[in-house]
Amino acid sequence: MAMSKQQVRRLRKARKISGTIIGTIMKVVVCVFFGFPFLWMVATSFKTNAEAIQFPPTLLPVKATIEAYISVFSELNLGRYIGNSLLILVATTVGQFLVMVPAAYAFAKYKFKGNGFFFGLLMVAFMVPTVITYPSVSKMFMEAGMIKTLIPQIVPCLCNAFGIFLLRQNFMQVPEELLESARLDEASELQIITKIMLPMSKATLSNVMMLSVIGTWNSYFWPLVMTYHDEVRPITIAIESMKTLEGGLQWPIIMAGNCILVLPVLLLFLAASKKIIAAMAYRGVK
Amino acid sequence: MGEIVFKNICKSFGETKIIDDLDLTIKDGEFTVLVGPSGCGKTTLLRMIAGIGPATSGELYIDDEEISDVPPGKRGIAMVFQNYAIYPTMTVYGNIEFGLKNKKVPKAERKKLIAEVAETVGLTPYLDRKPSELSGGQRQRVALARAMVKKPKVFLLDEPLSNLDAKLRVSMRTELIELHHKLKTTFVYVTHDQTEAMSMADTIILMDHGEIQQLAPPEVIYNDPNNVFTAQFIGTPPMNIHLMKDGKTQIGYRPEKIQLSREQGQWMYCRRAKIMTREMLGSETLYKLQIKVMDKEVTVMSKSLNMDFAVDDEIYVGVEKEDLYYFDAEGLRIRDASVLTGCYEMTKEGELHD
Amino acid sequence: MTKAKVDVPANALSNPKRKKVYIGRLVLPYAMVLPTVLLLAVFTFYPAIDMIINSFYDINVFKGNTFVGFDNYVRLFNHPDFWPAVRNTLIYTLGSVFFLIVLGLIFALWLQRSTFINGIVQRFMFLPHICALLSVAMIFQWLMDDEGLFNFVLSWFNLPGLKWFNSSDTAMISIMIVSIWKGIGYYALILLSAVKSIPTELLEAADLDDSGKLRTFFKISLPMLSPQIFFLLITITINSFKVFDSVRILTNGLCDTNVLVFLIYTLNKTSGQAGVAAAAGTVLLIILMIFTVIYFRVLGKRVHYQ
Repeated sequence: MAMSKQQVRRLRKARKISGTIIGTIMKVVVCVFFGFPFLWMVATSFKTNAEAIQFPPTLLPVKATIEAYISVFSELNLGRYIGNSLLILVATTVGQFLVMVPAAYAFAKYKFKGNGFFFGLLMVAFMVPTVITYPSVSKMFMEAGMIKTLIPQIVPCLCNAFGIFLLRQNFMQVPEELLESARLDEASELQIITKIMLPMSKATLSNVMMLSVIGTWNSYFWPLVMTYHDEVRPITIAIESMKTLEGGLQWPIIMAGNCILVLPVLLLFLAASKKIIAAMAYRGVK
Repeated sequence: MGEIVFKNICKSFGETKIIDDLDLTIKDGEFTVLVGPSGCGKTTLLRMIAGIGPATSGELYIDDEEISDVPPGKRGIAMVFQNYAIYPTMTVYGNIEFGLKNKKVPKAERKKLIAEVAETVGLTPYLDRKPSELSGGQRQRVALARAMVKKPKVFLLDEPLSNLDAKLRVSMRTELIELHHKLKTTFVYVTHDQTEAMSMADTIILMDHGEIQQLAPPEVIYNDPNNVFTAQFIGTPPMNIHLMKDGKTQIGYRPEKIQLSREQGQWMYCRRAKIMTREMLGSETLYKLQIKVMDKEVTVMSKSLNMDFAVDDEIYVGVEKEDLYYFDAEGLRIRDASVLTGCYEMTKEGELHD
Repeated sequence: MTKAKVDVPANALSNPKRKKVYIGRLVLPYAMVLPTVLLLAVFTFYPAIDMIINSFYDINVFKGNTFVGFDNYVRLFNHPDFWPAVRNTLIYTLGSVFFLIVLGLIFALWLQRSTFINGIVQRFMFLPHICALLSVAMIFQWLMDDEGLFNFVLSWFNLPGLKWFNSSDTAMISIMIVSIWKGIGYYALILLSAVKSIPTELLEAADLDDSGKLRTFFKISLPMLSPQIFFLLITITINSFKVFDSVRILTNGLCDTNVLVFLIYTLNKTSGQAGVAAAAGTVLLIILMIFTVIYFRVLGKRVHYQ
């Protein structure tokens, strides 16, 4: 029964090595598990309709074709919806920035009656889901005659409560002396914000903006309930409507649309995965 | 150009009054040091002058102009903060330039001014650096340069040396004195360190609990304190003060004025003492002594050039008449000649055994 | 130091020359928060209050609104879809909370060492989280199609194909699979940063005390993680109560997957049901409010302890 010390040591070593190997294999499996569906999406998008539904399925397209992409852009006019999405994205991002920065600065650095109250409102608003607000909001825009514009998809999204919260935290950490010093240097409040506060909060600001950009590009529910007209729909709603094309589900076309939807986010993630992950972790832990 | 006058100044934070009805004149061109324990109101006064923490009521003049409602940037003052308050995202050059830019000084002139001031404080090689790449002393210089470049009427310095290590602090002290000499503008300097105050000031303003305890040049404040607080705040170790026989009057003498001897001498004040501890400081030796006052043991510090005594030695201590100070029950200095005569009598009577 | 915020000397306003400047300084903070407050008022608070009021009225576009007291609530509770929706929401919530936290913890512990491969795995896991739910849902719809890849793989093992989203037995579970697949990377990440914040000395001390791995986990790591786990619990619960997109895209509420938010959405689209929809919205708001209050209570406490 008794093993020599050497045997024990060898056994331990063997166990350790096999553990590492099994662990690595499992990690590869996990990567495949999370990566494969995207691969499947890309593969399908380059298949012909016939190959896509053929049984047994092919992993990679036997004869790659860009037919699906062509019809997405020509017949389904996806370019226009992408344009809508981009317009919404730019307007929302710029608008959020302009709303967020002064609010965060005032909340962080001014003592005024109502500071706590207004900030409390912001936190309460955080909790109210859009499913509760959308009927009144859409009615409002309908009555104002703006429902055929992109405004309903932009203006209600301009108040980034979480962004204001995070930026305020960051501003609060800027020492008061810096502001006093700047005021002694005859800097205006606007200059204090642009020359001191914002450069010092670059990291938080870029995190917040990045998350907001991704969120706006991906948004589904709000455009779903705010758009009654085809010409103002963003990319997500357009892609969803591909399910109802004549001739049943045409997976290559649907997947081509989704490839286009995912691609920018994917590129952004590839370029700045570390930053995005850090931003998300920061947001979660706050 | 640069006289500061406070008239009936009050300042409260919420319910608590920090300063109540204060009148004060800070003379033009002098190096004035506001000194006192933390919370005494010295920084509050400084921030009032700067305009970043205005008074609750009262009037504040710089050169006869009421400035209570002049915004900080327009008062012709510059301030060096304790933590320097250097803009971390700008280069050294950008930091110095910021105030000039806001003043709309033309670019060529800005360049000239910055080059000058950088030369004066020795920052020329570092102008392109970011503050994070500088040492503590260099940051200090940036803060100084930034203040100097504005050519202010008044320099405000809020404990500017407290973040430096001991050695650097001493050398910066000298540099600041030289700088004041060169610029000849009003310097108002806040510190809690009495050594700093003594070594740099033309005039010391000693404050406690929002009140001025004494306003005088360093030698006066040291040699002729107005009250117990001043006597004990200035000087290390502080002045020895204990009650006298009558239970009201307090007698005081500085540790460095105590004479130690194995034999009894002809001093006005003479006591037997036992040496409790002994600290070598180098040229001087610090003794902790125990004497008896009205059957109570009183600890007295002595700083002496004589290093011959050992712990547990029983010796005599004495103080000459001109080195003795008397304070009344409220802690105020007794200056009235007739009262003093009484005090001297009491001192002699109490010789050796009170 | 006391913060020098908007400090106005007492005698400032009596000086007409400077009065303007000081009034400007007093107004400035309000001007800065005004856009935010306006947006909140118009697009969050007004609609929410409007909905609560509507929940007590019979909404009729042509005849006008009539006050009906709690009728809408009675109609809601008697609505054939309401209790199933509550049940489905609860099933979804419990499933999400359980699997996201347990799997998240397992991944967090497994990947806690900062190695190259762990970084890669983390990135792969995280990918679904930042992609549009729409795409994720559609990909899975395709994978879980009757003739999709999943059923093909099942056929390798001689197993019958599943109906996935098209059967009451499997639809809810399928939706949960998609949600968990999409969300796990994020929750694992949050737990991972919590795991990494446990002082290593603590684990080393446990090692020296000859504590087994499991024991160390349950006696040391888990208690240290409990605040973070609690917050995830609340966050996931709140998010699960708001689930809509995946249901709408994957099953359109069929096959026993109707949930509260989806019910509100359909009621809003059905004529004559706006009041009932408002009542359902109010119920949802109350539920969310309770969770949020718990969240902030505990958050306040935690901040206090530090």
